[in-house]
Amino acid sequence: MVTILEAKRIVTMNPGNTYATHIAIKDGIILGVGPLEELTGWGEYTLDRTFADQVFVPGFVEAHAHVMAGGMLLLPFMGFYDRYRGDGSLARGIKSYDALIEALREEEGAIEDPDQPLVAVGFDPIYFGDQPRLSRHHLDQVSTTRPIFIYHASGHLATVNSAMLAAHQVTKDIQVEGLGRDADGELDGELREPPAMSLCRSGYGAVQRVNNTEAAMVEFGKQATNCGITTCTDLGGLSLLSDKFLAPWQSVTRGEHYPLRVAQYNIGAIPGSQADCEAAAERLMDIRKDEHEKLRFPGVKFILDGSIQGFSALLNPPGYFQGSDHGQLLVVPEQLQSMLQPFHARGINIHMHCNGNATQDLAIDTIDQLLRAFPWFDHRHTITHAQLTTQAQLRKMANLGLCANFFSNHLWYWGDQHYEITVGPERAHQLEPCASAVRAGVPFSVHSDAGVTPLGSLHTMWCAVNRMTPSGRTLGEEEKISPLQGLKAVTIDAAYQLHLDHEIGSLEAGKKADIAILAEDPLSVDPMHIKDIDVLGTFLAGELYPAAGSNV
Amino acid sequence: MIPLTIIGGYLGAGKSTLLQRLVREPGDRILGLLINDFGSINIDAELIASADHDKVELTNGCICCSLADGFHEALETLLLRDPTPDHILVEASGVADVHSLAQYGHHPELSLSGVLVVVDSETVRDKSKDPYVGRTITRHIEAADLIIANKQDLASDAERERLKAWLASVNPAAPILPTTSANVPIDIALGHRVTDPTPSMLNDRNLASPEADHLFDANRTSGHATFARWMWQHDSVCLPDDVEPFLKAIPSTIWRLKGWLETGDGILEIQKVGARHSIRARSDMNKTGQSLIAIGLADTFESARLDQLAAQHLTTPDKDNTI
Repeated sequence: MVTILEAKRIVTMNPGNTYATHIAIKDGIILGVGPLEELTGWGEYTLDRTFADQVFVPGFVEAHAHVMAGGMLLLPFMGFYDRYRGDGSLARGIKSYDALIEALREEEGAIEDPDQPLVAVGFDPIYFGDQPRLSRHHLDQVSTTRPIFIYHASGHLATVNSAMLAAHQVTKDIQVEGLGRDADGELDGELREPPAMSLCRSGYGAVQRVNNTEAAMVEFGKQATNCGITTCTDLGGLSLLSDKFLAPWQSVTRGEHYPLRVAQYNIGAIPGSQADCEAAAERLMDIRKDEHEKLRFPGVKFILDGSIQGFSALLNPPGYFQGSDHGQLLVVPEQLQSMLQPFHARGINIHMHCNGNATQDLAIDTIDQLLRAFPWFDHRHTITHAQLTTQAQLRKMANLGLCANFFSNHLWYWGDQHYEITVGPERAHQLEPCASAVRAGVPFSVHSDAGVTPLGSLHTMWCAVNRMTPSGRTLGEEEKISPLQGLKAVTIDAAYQLHLDHEIGSLEAGKKADIAILAEDPLSVDPMHIKDIDVLGTFLAGELYPAAGSNV
Repeated sequence: MIPLTIIGGYLGAGKSTLLQRLVREPGDRILGLLINDFGSINIDAELIASADHDKVELTNGCICCSLADGFHEALETLLLRDPTPDHILVEASGVADVHSLAQYGHHPELSLSGVLVVVDSETVRDKSKDPYVGRTITRHIEAADLIIANKQDLASDAERERLKAWLASVNPAAPILPTTSANVPIDIALGHRVTDPTPSMLNDRNLASPEADHLFDANRTSGHATFARWMWQHDSVCLPDDVEPFLKAIPSTIWRLKGWLETGDGILEIQKVGARHSIRARSDMNKTGQSLIAIGLADTFESARLDQLAAQHLTTPDKDNTI
């Protein structure tokens, strides 16, 4: 049976047939997009006018996110900015220590088992710079008996209460370096880096375990639907050689009505280590045999350095503006080529996490070498994050066929910090250089890196279009892109770098009937309004998935 | 508490060769190894008892765990094993932050036995200027308790001298062991395996030979590194406050020192590797007297100085009664 959906406007992202009003769907596949009279010839049909006042765009494609976005919202969320859970409920941003203590008290009261630790996530001390550091004394105001573990947004720190320290016999005599201490040498409850955090294993373990659970994957899918995403990467935190990710993903995505196509990219080698990449590449080829409509394994991810705001990304001169440089590669440069080669030679797409531009030089040069040894014109290997990409790097990336995936959400979430602290004004203006990528001819997408920032393609697109910071600064007028270019970067061009653009990312005959249902047209509204457009839900393979709280 | 040793160093320095040596001839230790890539260790097939993708068990009881699922997970695997290994070795990757990894050695169930950093004597000075990894390499050296200057045979005499001076300028505190083919005696690499203080300590199999406290040859092929040991026993009781000054006074020519000291408050286990030392109360031990063992390079070894320091700091028989 053919269904024809009517919309106020359909933005197809197919440059050969840009706008329409109707879309005909059968068995999850698009038969055609056009005016009604051009579609009726497909046979007996039902005309569905439920969304006749709404706008359809291709279901959004998020090319850099993590299932952690789901996992972390299964735990109490203490981030500075608001976040919405999959069920539409709001985790309100925490703007003061008093609010934090109050929110934690509420969570504490809701736990029945007196021995169960309270583990919360998302706290970011960067927004409380004018206050003393969060310490166990703050958290002792929540409870002196229940162990509490607050995992920070950076993933590098935690703060715990006295009961948590006592529960794991963590005393001031322990000499692990990351144990925070006050002026008298007493523990203050801050735990820096994994050797210290893992001392309180009931808390640290809970944070680690929550991500690779079916519950996290279900929550991830709901959040995606709420913001119109129909295909989302999970750039997994696990090695391809690990056996922990496959079974839960298979089970969840094969469940009835899972609302998302998941493009899974696991990592070739745990950052800072090396691994048997030949075996990892073989494993990838092997698990592809069990791919299905909602679970694909398009490629592999490698993490090559740290983050800019953590000062752990490797920068070319002149280096960091303020703060101390901890920039470090997480791969041995001489080994990178041999690590990538097993994937490249098998025709497997590679996404490389590079935050620093020195790291990015290494990635680009390594791909250059690989292409000489194993020519492949359509590799679509991608530099992901690519925040400080220079003009010279864009020229070379264009020559080599490399794609970029810019972390445009950084412009909003840390734009002021980059301007004032990390890289200084000039380079902050050229962060996420989307317009330069257009000029250089480098295909690119933009991403949220969810859960680092919230999932939300309209927001991510808004950042690339408006380049505005919370203080009201515009970062880099000349790097702004048009709403159309922005929409490409969260639909068809994101699909391109996953090698899925022939199936998804635009609305055209033969492709999947994956649609985001919007209250307004992102190409016609005031560009500053793009992030506030209501998402009513999605169609995935022609099946309706309403967003939480929408009345459809 | 299980001793933990971190073996760091850049690609090609000889970390894997060192690990191969240790795992082939672990003495009477059961070693637990955390390694990046099984392939690089190249374990002889006849030594392998069983193998799967993240674990290789050897016929000599040693076990290698892969770091593919992350450091913490692999460490837990080793700690939950029965029997637990006598000593855990970590092969840090060429770009790992060895200083941070070493922090695991301060966990309650572990004791840090040392950070060994292997360098390629021929290339390390050049590589330290590399724009990608130069700073990583100097950070490794800064974090070392012992520096193993490997591949000495590839460096000229003049270069060896320059290297020694340069390493000392980067990390003045860490002793430097010149060697080839990563030929490091296990007692230097891992410290003495002495689980029981006096008196059986001195009957430890490793120390049983009559020459034990004389020179022994660590590098039988080239013979250019010889070591000396010093052992000391006393049945006095020392003051806890004297232990730290004693350890601080030990000359830098002593590479490792280990022992148990009886104080009025119970037994203290002391350990010194390079410039770093630790003191831990061992309420679980019920021994009397004091036992120490030290090791260093033969040509700079100062037995008499050690005797003197021990006598000065640790033998004040009735002092504790005056408190």
